[in-house]
Amino acid sequence: MATPVIMPRFGNSVESCLIVQWFKNAGDSIAEGEALCEIETDKSTIEVEAPVAGTVLDIFFPADEDVDVMTNIAAIGDAGEDVSSLRPDGAGAAAPVEEVQEEAEAQPATTVIILEDENDNTALTPVANNAGDSLASPRARGLAAKNNIDFSTLTGSGPQGRVIERDVQAAIDAGPRLSPAAAELVSKELVAPQRGSGPGGLVLAGDLIPAGSGVAPAPAVAPAVGETRTIKVKGIRKIIAERMVQSLSSTAQLTMNATAKATNLQVYRAQIKAGAESAGLPNITIGDMIVFAVSRVLPRHPAMNAHFLGDRIVEYDDCNIGVAVDTERGLMVPVIPQAQRLSLAALAATFKPLATSCQEGSIDPVHLQGGTFTVTNLGALGVEHFTPVLNAPEVGILGIGGLSLKPYPGKDGEVEFIPSIALSLTIDHQALDGAPAARFLKDLVNTIENFQLALAN
Amino acid sequence: MTKSLYVDPKTVRASGTLTAPDVPVCQYSKTLKTERKKFSDDQLINIYEDMQLIREFETMLNVVKTEGTYQGVEYDHKGPAHLSLGQEASAVGMAYTLDVNDHIFGSHRSHGEILAKGRSAIRSLDDDTLMDIMKNFMDGAILKMVEPGCEGNVQDLATDFLLYGSLAEIFGRENGFHKGLGGSMHAFFTPFGIYPNNAIVGGSAGIAAGAALFKRVNQKDGIVVANLGDASMGCGPVWEAFNFAAMDQYDTLWDDAHKGGLPIIFNVFNNFYGMGGQTAGETMAYGQPSRIGLGVTENGMHAERVDGYNPLAVIDAMTRKKQLIEERKGPVLLETITYRISGHSPSDASSYREKEEMDAWRQEDSIAAYTEQLQKAGVSTEKDIEDVKVRFGKLVGRAYRLALDMEKSPRIKPQAIEGLMFSNRHVKSYDKTRECDALIPMEENPRLAQLARKSRSGIKDGKVLPKNKIFQFRDAIFESMLQKYYTDPTLVAYGEENRDWGGAFACYRGLTEAMPYHRLFNSPISEAAIVGTAVGYALEGGRVVAELMYCDFMGRAGDEIFNQMAKWQSMSAGVLEMPMVLRVSVGNKYGAQHSQDWVSMVNHIPGLKVVFPATPYDAKGLLNSALAGSDPVIFFESQRLYDIGELFEKEVPEEYYEVEIGKPAKRRDGADLTILTVGATLYRAIEAADLMQEKYGITCDIFDARSINPLDYDPIVESVKKTGRIVLASDACERGSVMQMMATNLTRYAFDYLDAPPVVVGARNWISPCAEMEDDFFPQPEWIVDAIHENIIPLPGHEVSTNTTNLESLRINRLGV
Repeated sequence: MATPVIMPRFGNSVESCLIVQWFKNAGDSIAEGEALCEIETDKSTIEVEAPVAGTVLDIFFPADEDVDVMTNIAAIGDAGEDVSSLRPDGAGAAAPVEEVQEEAEAQPATTVIILEDENDNTALTPVANNAGDSLASPRARGLAAKNNIDFSTLTGSGPQGRVIERDVQAAIDAGPRLSPAAAELVSKELVAPQRGSGPGGLVLAGDLIPAGSGVAPAPAVAPAVGETRTIKVKGIRKIIAERMVQSLSSTAQLTMNATAKATNLQVYRAQIKAGAESAGLPNITIGDMIVFAVSRVLPRHPAMNAHFLGDRIVEYDDCNIGVAVDTERGLMVPVIPQAQRLSLAALAATFKPLATSCQEGSIDPVHLQGGTFTVTNLGALGVEHFTPVLNAPEVGILGIGGLSLKPYPGKDGEVEFIPSIALSLTIDHQALDGAPAARFLKDLVNTIENFQLALAN
Repeated sequence: MTKSLYVDPKTVRASGTLTAPDVPVCQYSKTLKTERKKFSDDQLINIYEDMQLIREFETMLNVVKTEGTYQGVEYDHKGPAHLSLGQEASAVGMAYTLDVNDHIFGSHRSHGEILAKGRSAIRSLDDDTLMDIMKNFMDGAILKMVEPGCEGNVQDLATDFLLYGSLAEIFGRENGFHKGLGGSMHAFFTPFGIYPNNAIVGGSAGIAAGAALFKRVNQKDGIVVANLGDASMGCGPVWEAFNFAAMDQYDTLWDDAHKGGLPIIFNVFNNFYGMGGQTAGETMAYGQPSRIGLGVTENGMHAERVDGYNPLAVIDAMTRKKQLIEERKGPVLLETITYRISGHSPSDASSYREKEEMDAWRQEDSIAAYTEQLQKAGVSTEKDIEDVKVRFGKLVGRAYRLALDMEKSPRIKPQAIEGLMFSNRHVKSYDKTRECDALIPMEENPRLAQLARKSRSGIKDGKVLPKNKIFQFRDAIFESMLQKYYTDPTLVAYGEENRDWGGAFACYRGLTEAMPYHRLFNSPISEAAIVGTAVGYALEGGRVVAELMYCDFMGRAGDEIFNQMAKWQSMSAGVLEMPMVLRVSVGNKYGAQHSQDWVSMVNHIPGLKVVFPATPYDAKGLLNSALAGSDPVIFFESQRLYDIGELFEKEVPEEYYEVEIGKPAKRRDGADLTILTVGATLYRAIEAADLMQEKYGITCDIFDARSINPLDYDPIVESVKKTGRIVLASDACERGSVMQMMATNLTRYAFDYLDAPPVVVGARNWISPCAEMEDDFFPQPEWIVDAIHENIIPLPGHEVSTNTTNLESLRINRLGV
């Protein structure tokens, strides 16, 4: 009996993974534990190892395919073994043609196909009718294109599972899928197109178009474009895209800005830098210091350390602070668990290797989950204030801007310029109001400005 | 079959001996000297000149084909050149006595006949008439080219005209007699009485007989000469033409004005070879072709062998034979022996004959022998004879240089051929100068009285009326024919059982009483002759309706339909019209040789219009259109429909109306699916549509193509764009059916609108079995529904009775069944 190789699951939030490359072809031998393929999940790249030794009997999906977790992606066993029972529905590699014909001939003309219930909206459930090469009549394709529907997501009810006109019509009749925000805005004046710009054609608030116009107004004259490059949205980019849109469309984001005098931060950092080696301390950055400050302030503002889950808000005691890391693959947010318990040195020592493995693409997805609050830092790139996007369902994210000299009233009525750091806090106004958020920010400013005091806690 | 002739058992069973008349063989014994009483010196010289002109012309083509140059001017002629070098005396002798009203038809080897008949015609016409002909023919295009360089009189100019027009035709140039679309083997020039030469061996026999029929029926002056080759005696259609021209009924049944065998001489140029096959002694059994006449008529067709190497002997024979025809004693079979000293074509190395044989015939060369006699008789001197050669060398050289010059003699623009495929004229009558011969006034026709009692709609108060109460499909055919018979005096109709019986399916019942024999008669069971003679009748300018009792019999008239009926309008570049309708009845119930729908075969042939009405309204309207046009129309009728009434139009109007050829009829409006049919399958498609609506709520647009070629697809495409789905059905076998072509076209025109591939439902690719099993052979309503379910739109709960899957289609194609 052949052994299936399963697309592994990494945490509850991972639904599918992208196969980056196969290291083996069907027919190759493989040792137990040997890498079979590389997959890209959520925000990391992982090798899938062979669970048993044997011959790779079949590979069910080609590289670049996005495959649901827990799905069989390959089979290993003794050469010649039948793997048809392991082949998942809709897998790419087709069975040999002869087999198909024999099967079809066995039940030639007496097939009775029951029509789908017209009210059944399952038509929108992706069902590949022929493994990536969707059969659709020219008429169905035309109707789908006109209504901005992806016919490959439809279930074909025509001969040989062909998507025919009525399948597209059923999808049109079922109407578009709306985001909650779009659903609230839809009115007589504002209508939804068949397909929106959101994930899977989700209609977002911005996709709504004036009633009667039929389509969103097109620019009068499309400007000429030079050479272009088309980059397929997949893997991490796809996940980020979906997350960001989901965040913006499902939360009420409010950003407030403040400035903290950074004199003490700078003084303390200079001290550490000078004595780090002798003291056995890791390299500690301004960013580390602010994350440390956040970890000390958050427990005093539990409403900021929470998840907004629609019908309920969950506040956390532990401050699992996600820290955004810019990588070649895209934005990643490793989480420093229970940051409130860590010393500044421990915090810096915890974060450093997480950031490195993000850069290398080898981070264990476990370290990318479970955040309760996020800090993102664009200071090094000269940005002052910005509007960070919430890492929903978290209710707060702090953006760290760059250091600059800010004027303050001096002792003798003169203006004094003091190095200051810009702070931008985005909150989910659904979960809390502006004042408590402002109080959190003020507390944080104070903590930063009097950093040495915080160290005492 | 006729009541007036009594088959008396006593007579036919009486003992006796069948005797045959003698066939004279080369009995001409006069000399040029003795013939000087009959011919003037000029006439005797003319005979030489005509032969020498042919010799020079054919020599020119021979050296052009073999050496690529003539008189120092190079030319590469890619087309054919079947030359008659050596046969000049036979051609000149044949043509010498004929005038422009005498029409000759020829073969692939007829350059000599064109020049001989042309010269003969030129001599018989006065200058004004000649000039008119040359000025009016193709707006004087040929005349304009030859006039500037001509130094002689009008007859000399006409000779230049004849040489250049012929050669430009042979070289495929627009200044050819028919714009180069006929070429060497099909050249002709009707104003001089030169009718189509034919590249199909024996092809001219039936056509020429039809031309003779035209002359007889319409009382036209002149006779017809069918110039055939000895090898054509092996062709069945030639035999059919002999018999058709000699049928007893001309003497026994036709009225006095039209009595007697047809005015035609079948002149067989016997050069002893059919390409490389030697006829007498090898491929034929006749000994000599003139023997065939003995098998045709009691008088042996006045058959005679004449020495075609002596022009005077041929002239003598032609004069005597022409006299016989004037006495209504035709047809005549004349065998003119001759010999070609060149090959069958320039590629022929004469490997099938000995050099000695060719040398022997060269020794007997007709021109040399004749000029020797001219000199001996003192008619011409050697110098006179040489002068003619030099003069004709110049004439032919001039025509050659003109004809090969691409600037002076360009080719036709290819697209112009499209405009010559049909003449598309509306001609109420082909002869408005005379009354229509008839036995009774139209209004007194007994069948009209019967029809007056019938319902001209097949439905009354929503109910389909019984057969005996309605105006049927066959009545519609009758009514159209009747009206045309009294409109166009040239109209004739014939076929098997057309008279007395009224056609096997009673379409012509009531016409026997109305029409004299010469306008409606029974033909022999000779499909090749039925169609071939109709072609000849039509191209002479008469309207004709020929009938094939079963579509399956088209096989017997293959050449006549595919090569003759279809081609002559375009090969003549519009000089000829073909107002001919071929009624073809599509059968059933009688097994594999009486049940085939061959629409696709004729549709495939360029030059034919093809219609297949399925309702009485269309039968009358389309036949009226066909009978008012100038083009050849194949008119299919289904034997399943002869007794059907009108179910779609309000009624079949009594008065004259036309249904335009080329427009499909929409029989039903629906929304979900389009059905297109040809022929009787319409009614089964309607049943299928009813079934679809009742059981599955699917409504259909139904189209009846009516016309297969031409066909306006627009309304069908519009429907398919609406429904996205189409089934095509007819009674033809599915493989190669015309429905497949329509499906291909519709796929192309409406591809982006299709919700499924168009599907064709046809008869099985088998022989049709016995009548009781026909439901397993011809498309049934359920088959159509099955095809829809399996290939177009699955129908909930539908249980199929036939296998219409792609796999099944692949399987039967793999097996060729």
